[in-house]
Amino acid sequence: MKYSYIKARKKSVFSSELQLLFSFFSITLFMLFLTYLFLVFKDYRFEQNTREIIEKRAELESSTTNMKAQITFIEKEVLLSERINTKNTVLKDSIANLFDLVPQRITLSEASLLKNGLILYGITPNKDVYNFMLQAPLRSIFHRTYSSFYPAPNGWLKFVSTNYIDEDELALESPDFNKEEESDYED
Amino acid sequence: MLGRLFEALYHKVFINIVVQRSHSIVYVEECNTKGMISNDSESFDTTELSSKMHEYIDSFVSESPFHYISILDTSNAQGAIPTCSSRDMSVFNDMTSSKYICHQNQWAYYTSKPNLDIIKYNYSKVGVDFIFSPFTILSNFFKDKIDSHLALYILLEDNYITISVFDNSKLLYGDHIDMDHGDDNEELLIDESSEEDIDLDLEGSINLDDIDAMSDMEGLDDFGDIEDLDTIDEIDEFAETEEDEEAFRSEENEPSVDDGSGFNEDYQRFSLIQSSINRFYKDYRYESKFVESVYIADAIGVSGDLKRYLEEEMFLSVFVRHLDLGAEVCEMAKADLK
Repeated sequence: MKYSYIKARKKSVFSSELQLLFSFFSITLFMLFLTYLFLVFKDYRFEQNTREIIEKRAELESSTTNMKAQITFIEKEVLLSERINTKNTVLKDSIANLFDLVPQRITLSEASLLKNGLILYGITPNKDVYNFMLQAPLRSIFHRTYSSFYPAPNGWLKFVSTNYIDEDELALESPDFNKEEESDYED
Repeated sequence: MLGRLFEALYHKVFINIVVQRSHSIVYVEECNTKGMISNDSESFDTTELSSKMHEYIDSFVSESPFHYISILDTSNAQGAIPTCSSRDMSVFNDMTSSKYICHQNQWAYYTSKPNLDIIKYNYSKVGVDFIFSPFTILSNFFKDKIDSHLALYILLEDNYITISVFDNSKLLYGDHIDMDHGDDNEELLIDESSEEDIDLDLEGSINLDDIDAMSDMEGLDDFGDIEDLDTIDEIDEFAETEEDEEAFRSEENEPSVDDGSGFNEDYQRFSLIQSSINRFYKDYRYESKFVESVYIADAIGVSGDLKRYLEEEMFLSVFVRHLDLGAEVCEMAKADLK
């Protein structure tokens, strides 16, 4: 504005129509770009989710394996407990039977159950009572029976009865073994 | 940066509107970086923006986005004052509702703000980029003379007269006259002439005003003397402006179509110029210096009568230079853009 009273209007190459067109194009491009960004983000999220799911599945698989192992272990434990329970029952029955074997005149002071034997400590009025009333049933059960006596202060006899079951003998007595023997005889 | 690139790629179109008494002239110039490519001019029988003018302008506007529309200010409330100080301006004119531009920090030209708004409103359909004062046109047109001479410079338009007195590029006086609406100075002149008539009737009486006027006339007589004219330096200026003289002579040889009205108008112009000069001499606000020569920028092709009146009545050395107002406004627009 050196000579003129007013300033010249700003000149632009872009007419209002072109500006409108460019603005529409720019808005469209912007929206497309936003859509692209959204899709990229979604894709990223999808991949992230996939990774997470795969990791989760691996974790679950490993936990399943662990649980299976635990189940197997528990099943084994159950079996073991059942066996022990059976054994205990058998033992209980054995002890009950043992105490049933002991006559009223003989008093047991101690009984030790071994894996393949039984040791009994007690007092008997005399050897005959012991021999007839206790040793006879013990011999029918155990393969080897050893008895030792020593006198008690009251005139009775203290005894220690040691009884063993031989494994070899037990095997021979088992029905399978008998069958085999029978088959051998047949041959 | 990008804007400058586009500016270099596109042509610049300068559309210049000059409003005359009953018609408007639209001068169009198309330029590139090297210079002018083409120009065109059209006259419209309207002083406002008609539909035809609008179409004509639009046809050029559509050619380039870098188009500039310039208008020459024709407001009556415009002028030029020999100061750039806003404090001193109030001595010459009330500038509260005027817009002024300081030229080279020496003098200022002004116009009324409402008038600028009116111009912008009238041409709002096409828009306006520049509004130029006739004083800038005048100072630019006679730039070679203004810088080194003390003279009266006149821009003659169809309906307006722009008068300024420059002393070595310093403005001493500026006046813009509308021929249709007359001027206060004209009335002043008529009053003076009537007083003179009365004085002539009463030869025996003594009037102080009359004595002043007579003394001025004596001074003018001294300068108007042919012998003195031979001795003054202005003869060299005549030699310098030989082309102007030739141009003027060629115009003089071609008689005006409307001789009768031309005579009246020329006399009216002379009267207005004379009264304006009287005001310059008498008004205490202006630094009064005696003017010996007048440079006329003729935009309408006046007859030789005006020159004769000025030479014979006011004893001035008259130099006439033809002016294409549209082209000059275009030059101003180009200068403003630089």
